[in-house]
Amino acid sequence: MRYEAPDSLDAATELLSSEPGVSRILAGGTDLLVQMHAGMTEPDLIVDIKKIPDLRAIVAEDSGFRIGAAVTGAEMGEHRELKSAWPGVVEAVELIGSTQIQGRATPGGNLCNASPAADSVPAMVAAGATVTVVGTEGTREIPVQEICTGPGQTSLKKGEIVVSFKLPARPSRSGDAYLRMTPRTEMDIAVVGVGVNLTMDQEGNCIDARVAIGAVAPTVLLVPEAAAALIGTKVDESALAELASAASAACRPIDDKRGTKKYRIKVAGVLAKRAAKIAVERAGQSL
Amino acid sequence: MSKELHVIGKASRKVGVMQKVSGQTVYAGDISLPRMLYCKILRSIHPYARIKSIDSREAEALPGVMAVMNGKDSPKKFGIMLRRGDDEVLAIDKTRFVGDSVAAVAALDEETAEEALKLIHVDYEVLEPVMSIAEGTVPPNGEPIHDYAELGNIHKRVSLEFGEMEAGFAKADLIQEDIFYYEGNTHLAMEEHATVAHYEADGKLTIWSSTQNPHYLHKAVANVFDMPPSRIRIIAPPTGGGFGGKVDPLNHEMVVSKLSMMTGRPVKITLTREEVFYAHRGRHPVLMKVKTGVKKDGSITAMDFKSFLDGGGYGSLGVATVYYTGALQTVTYNIPNYKFQGARIVTNKPPCGPKRGHGTPQPRFAVEVQLDKIAEKLGINPLDIRLNHLTRPFTKTANHLSITTTGLRECIEAVEKRSNFREQYGNLPLGKGLGLACGSYITGAGFPIYWNEMPHSGVQIQIDRGGGVTVFCGSTDIGQGSDSVLAYIVAEELGVTVDDISIVTADTSLTPVDLGSYSSRVTLMTGNAAIDAARKLRTLLFETAAKEFGVPLESLDARDNVVFCPENENCSISFPDLVVKAESEHGTLGSVGSYAPPPSTLGGKYKGAGVGPTPAYTYSAAVVLVDVDLETAELKVEKIWIAHDVGKAINPLLVQGQVEGSVYMGLGEAMMEEQVFRRGLHKTPSLLDYKSPTFLETPDIETILIETNDPNGPYGAKEAGQGPLLPIMPAVANAVYDAVGVRIDEIPIHPQKIFKAMRDKEKGKEGRYGPKGVPEIPFPDPIRVESQWGQRADQESSR
Repeated sequence: MRYEAPDSLDAATELLSSEPGVSRILAGGTDLLVQMHAGMTEPDLIVDIKKIPDLRAIVAEDSGFRIGAAVTGAEMGEHRELKSAWPGVVEAVELIGSTQIQGRATPGGNLCNASPAADSVPAMVAAGATVTVVGTEGTREIPVQEICTGPGQTSLKKGEIVVSFKLPARPSRSGDAYLRMTPRTEMDIAVVGVGVNLTMDQEGNCIDARVAIGAVAPTVLLVPEAAAALIGTKVDESALAELASAASAACRPIDDKRGTKKYRIKVAGVLAKRAAKIAVERAGQSL
Repeated sequence: MSKELHVIGKASRKVGVMQKVSGQTVYAGDISLPRMLYCKILRSIHPYARIKSIDSREAEALPGVMAVMNGKDSPKKFGIMLRRGDDEVLAIDKTRFVGDSVAAVAALDEETAEEALKLIHVDYEVLEPVMSIAEGTVPPNGEPIHDYAELGNIHKRVSLEFGEMEAGFAKADLIQEDIFYYEGNTHLAMEEHATVAHYEADGKLTIWSSTQNPHYLHKAVANVFDMPPSRIRIIAPPTGGGFGGKVDPLNHEMVVSKLSMMTGRPVKITLTREEVFYAHRGRHPVLMKVKTGVKKDGSITAMDFKSFLDGGGYGSLGVATVYYTGALQTVTYNIPNYKFQGARIVTNKPPCGPKRGHGTPQPRFAVEVQLDKIAEKLGINPLDIRLNHLTRPFTKTANHLSITTTGLRECIEAVEKRSNFREQYGNLPLGKGLGLACGSYITGAGFPIYWNEMPHSGVQIQIDRGGGVTVFCGSTDIGQGSDSVLAYIVAEELGVTVDDISIVTADTSLTPVDLGSYSSRVTLMTGNAAIDAARKLRTLLFETAAKEFGVPLESLDARDNVVFCPENENCSISFPDLVVKAESEHGTLGSVGSYAPPPSTLGGKYKGAGVGPTPAYTYSAAVVLVDVDLETAELKVEKIWIAHDVGKAINPLLVQGQVEGSVYMGLGEAMMEEQVFRRGLHKTPSLLDYKSPTFLETPDIETILIETNDPNGPYGAKEAGQGPLLPIMPAVANAVYDAVGVRIDEIPIHPQKIFKAMRDKEKGKEGRYGPKGVPEIPFPDPIRVESQWGQRADQESSR
């Protein structure tokens, strides 16, 4: 097994694309090292991307934010402007693992590990975030939800690296929120996670919304029907009830030890409703 | 001897704690010897299989591998039940669960040993596994898992009847029948088991091991290797938590011993966390049926209790566990007529054994939840159905157990007062609920695991010429503070400070036998032995001082390293000076003391009467406040009030620690912990996947200690390590009912179960989640014994 820690993106993509065996990218290592320790993966090459400056920075860009894929959850939580602009995204990152884990874990790793239950992903999808992917053949900018294709599987080609997340500029009177259900407060995996991002107008009508749900399908679901239940309403009780049923209807969960199908479907609706209320509150409106 | 206590009863620092918090404590896993080899064990990938052949030639040829062994190299069986043990050093012809041990390697380093495991080729014939109580109680398809089982895969059946059941039920105004299930869970001690064995050229074997029971391990090792015990020395270094998981002698301890004999070098093994899940010996899953007759006032006229235990692949202490699921129901409330039938089933899962509360949390859950159901039907407050029918001090139970002191009334009253249960119960807003439950537990098993008439605990004290005092005892400090108890008691009796005392424990060559850290026996038994030894020395020292001062011996006292006469300030001598004078007068200073439970506490004479008796029962009561989310059924425990009758707190701070630890462990069992298997495979053998609460889920715990000064306890002390766990699980279940009106008759209480019961209730169905029936199996005719309920128990002091 070879360990490399290049300081440029070019060098990293070159290493990854020329490795004939199994290569893995190391960011915080909170998934990779656990998998290696359990004997689930034995990479021939590990490319540590933490020495690449672009991947370690949070910068304001086009009235939005660009977040390096190897920024830690703790660093996002400490970034005051980011946290005030995108509280839902930041609170999702701050639910990964535990306080200690968040000192290492990164949004890039959380996305590329491709767990259907990853906490940061529904919030990013709801936020309308895009990622910049760089490979030897160039750069592409794609929506976050196009990265994961199934549990543990991504659309990334050999040698490609997720470099950064772009959180777009957003109108005033916008708010986002992420809620998840776990039996245990920390060090647990979401039974269901829901991200809601919305914009209200001066009259208190919801004019834009995105709803994403995790852990209820092979990948995180962006649910336009749930968003439609909010848009054009004052996000009152009847709209919230519509939202809940739309969110529940979109779920295609499995039965497992963490939750039965029926339970997950019901909880997805409840969390969507509660997250929407928080998002509205954050958008500076009262219900 | 009644005198003012200077050390006992005071909050003070735990012995050895500074080393622990500064990382200096040497655990078994820290031990490293010159020329030491590392051992790894190859484990079965099948839940049930016959081993057709093992080819380890490739492994043996790997550079760095010093020895490879399999079951045929050490075929003698062993176990905590000694002669009845069914544990194999390594599987002999069958593997009985995924993780069962098949072969072992000793190599120069762990990596090489692991590499070598991959080169061992095992040819298995896969057999059809039995994975549940239901599958184990029907006639087996193939061959039974063990040939000694009584009937198919039913390992052991017990059937006992005390008093007149028919007449008892005939007197009842209400007969309540319920079925409960309690899922299995594991100990989760912080320290993974580690063992170093060193077989030296003189034919002597030394074993350092994380064990709760050096004495039983000593016997087992001698038996497995047909060695005289005099050639074997077992040392238990400070153990990083046990909770029952290190009670059994375990096969890895035998494996490294054998490999050391084969190689002539020390051999070490440290189990991984995953392997600890396979070593297990944890809580038995138990399915229970309880039929209870009560009068309108809530008094019980008869109880018929049935339990079915899922034992896993080996016997462990399981026979005792079956009895324990039936033994202590009678100790808390008046039950004049009582019947118990229990069966332990062998399944292809990691073996179950003793875990904190050993066989009693499951029936306690059933009894306490059922009492609440009865109370509701009769319109009685849950407090009163308990308070009005408590067993009385110094009486016997239906099954011939002798109760000495009981502080259960004070316990219930204390938690009622703090929680305001009487006013709040039934009156909190929807979603908030209070639950009450009680429990009782033994302070040490009345009988040793093998029959003998020797002391259960021995203590030896030596005083050096500088005034230092060394206490020797076979007891094993697993974190509960047993070393501290010895130090406090000897300090109290000799009038020296705790810091002047050195403790040498858990070494079969250096220390007199103490049976081990199980059954909550250590404080009472080593404590009494320590008092016995210390008072002999105290008398010797006081004789010298009395002569020196020309005062009567009785007028002397000792504290803070000074022996003095309170009435005469001129009579005072420092402890070191007195030691010099005493040794000059008496010769080398030392003494021994011992303890065995008094015969009056040893219970009945019927077959099976050996499980349940103890010198003293403890009592606990808890009130739990919960919040249940009305939409998601998420369960949060917001507050716990717990009162425990500890007899006398030797160190209230350590007792509080034991109580809080019990509450925490009980909450884990109540809310989330469980062993889950799929296709024979343990689904969650890691700290990440096996969900146990963190401090974030642990609510504010208010601990109240009740002191009843038991005549059999040292200074009146009883146990604190296990009893306080018992009320937690039923109190949570009862609180959930108060919060949302559904009965969860199954542990753990997951939100999904509450959710399902709430949905059912909305649909007009019974708002209950739990098992629907129990298997029909033939039980032997019960052993019928006259009930001794309410008879006077002899009040005989142990000293």
